[in-house]
Amino acid sequence: MSQEAKLLTEFQMDALKEIGNIGAGHAATALSQMVGKRIDMSVTKVQILPAESIAGFLGGIDRNVAAVHMPIYGEMLGVALIFFPVERLPQLSGMLIGRKEEEPAHLSELGQSAIKELGSILTGAYLSALFRMIHLQLIHGVPTLAIDMAQAILDSVLVELEQKDEIAIVIETSFLEDEKQLTGNFFLLPEADSLKKFLAAFSKSLGLPGNG
Amino acid sequence: MGEKEWIVGIAEVKVARDPDRLVAYGLGSCVGVTLYDRWNKIGGLAHVMLPSSLPHGRVSTAGKYADTALEELLSSMASEGADLGRLEAKLVGGANMFSALSQQAVSIGMRNVSAVRDKLGEKKIAILGEDVGGVHGRTMLFFLGDGRVEVRKFNQPVEWI
Repeated sequence: MSQEAKLLTEFQMDALKEIGNIGAGHAATALSQMVGKRIDMSVTKVQILPAESIAGFLGGIDRNVAAVHMPIYGEMLGVALIFFPVERLPQLSGMLIGRKEEEPAHLSELGQSAIKELGSILTGAYLSALFRMIHLQLIHGVPTLAIDMAQAILDSVLVELEQKDEIAIVIETSFLEDEKQLTGNFFLLPEADSLKKFLAAFSKSLGLPGNG
Repeated sequence: MGEKEWIVGIAEVKVARDPDRLVAYGLGSCVGVTLYDRWNKIGGLAHVMLPSSLPHGRVSTAGKYADTALEELLSSMASEGADLGRLEAKLVGGANMFSALSQQAVSIGMRNVSAVRDKLGEKKIAILGEDVGGVHGRTMLFFLGDGRVEVRKFNQPVEWI
């Protein structure tokens, strides 16, 4: 566990949080334009987690979530996942399409595509902030949405990456609309070789020696 | 003492006996395979990730692949005293949760299911029950007292196989 915790120094974690904040700023602008009202976003927490702790981070092994999944290509391969708590889906759809959906487990087409779009806006904004800070060019693929057990979603992503011991970079983002707060979690899960590349690019751009 | 719950994580293989239970939380495209010796009330559960160890050469984690996980499960059950000639199997999982992303005709989840079925066929172990495929994740609880498996899915009633 301590090995993962030390992947980045405190200084690098601060830099990652800064990247998150730049990304969140851009995403907030894009989102406000999309929904036609002001939405503020900020990064509340940045963390590096081993995959087995992700469900715990999201609130427990049997927690249900909405997850937007996007493959990541370019100078690094992996998967981006954006998690929202299922019970906040009505509020989220209210914010995005101006209509509260009553049945979180059975969202309308429109509700589903709005949440996928939100995932894609967030991911695009974080990826371009990463590019600006550490010059790693990344793009994301088509978003898909699953509303299910957090652990089962992770299980599927680990199978996709063919890795059991995966490390995730987490950017916890809070949205604020008319004083109402909503939290989403952005996870970047790089493939094994890609994690090394990510850490190396990170150290280089910050003018630090590489992390072994 | 009472019964204990043993959690079987991704790529793990565990064996237990009556009155305990073996549990795999949140199976997505992974497959949970149970083997049960009804006479001795000994059971094992493997949380399989991928269909075959063949493309990977030497395998460090046997529990990761259908073929090597089942071999490992059989040998752990044998050393616990199970009668390998009287085993019955059940399969849970193999979902395709992000259906839009699967470019292959057969999802990785269903390829895991077929690989497990093939290996069980090779070992001549009968499959007594299955809850596989679909788009939803599953949690499974395997009760070693009678071999029943409880399957929980999001927003759906509990099922027994």
